[in-house]
Amino acid sequence: MNVQVEHHDKVLVARVEGRVDSSNSQDFERQLQGAIGEDVNAVVIDLGQLAYISSAGLRVVLLVAKTLGQRNVSISLCALSDPVQSVFEISGFNRIIQIYDTQADALAAAG
Amino acid sequence: MSATLHLRVPNRIEELPGVSEAVEALGSEQGWAQDVTYAIVLGLEEVATNVVRHGGGDPGSSEIEIDVTSSDDEVRVEVRDSGRAFDPFHEAPEPDLDAGVQDRQIGGLGVHFVKVLMDETSYSREGGRNHVTMVKRRS
Repeated sequence: MNVQVEHHDKVLVARVEGRVDSSNSQDFERQLQGAIGEDVNAVVIDLGQLAYISSAGLRVVLLVAKTLGQRNVSISLCALSDPVQSVFEISGFNRIIQIYDTQADALAAAG
Repeated sequence: MSATLHLRVPNRIEELPGVSEAVEALGSEQGWAQDVTYAIVLGLEEVATNVVRHGGGDPGSSEIEIDVTSSDDEVRVEVRDSGRAFDPFHEAPEPDLDAGVQDRQIGGLGVHFVKVLMDETSYSREGGRNHVTMVKRRS
């Protein structure tokens, strides 16, 4: 698992690659919280290269969404594969966090 | 075609990625569909993580026994451990799927995934061990 960070003006894009499970979710949390500590207006988490996520990883996404919500920073997700999309739907997270098909869509909405 | 994977791993979180890898290899060999593989790997990780975190006993002090049986019609996963008695399907908290971001609690989500993604789940306590069974049909 790896988190790559890019800046598009005041929008931060965090691209997550690999697998997030109970063995590395603390590392995932540290990398993601570290990335969003900066002064940004919006955060887009690109999950296009995420092969697998379990409840341990969803917990981190929720924690980050709570942190950003308290700072009035918007958060969205994009480019989920079908199985990852299913997990977000089963968790109900798709009803509380915006999900876009592509990073371009997410950036347009966040811009 | 039928095949069984039998694993015994110490009750440590660090052991679980190796379990996922072994299960994915079985799925690839047996031609499981992508959603079946995801469900089996996820269900096993969620149940085994619960055993490690809530079973009591120090990490590495006991073993988790895992059997994954793949047949033409279904994949059956059985997890046995000697931790404290715990029925995840009835004792884990139910997640509130309608709560907003700030009110939403994470507890119980792993078990919720298992209930939704599997076609059958059951729990029993046998000979001082927990025995969780999960079945996913292949079509």
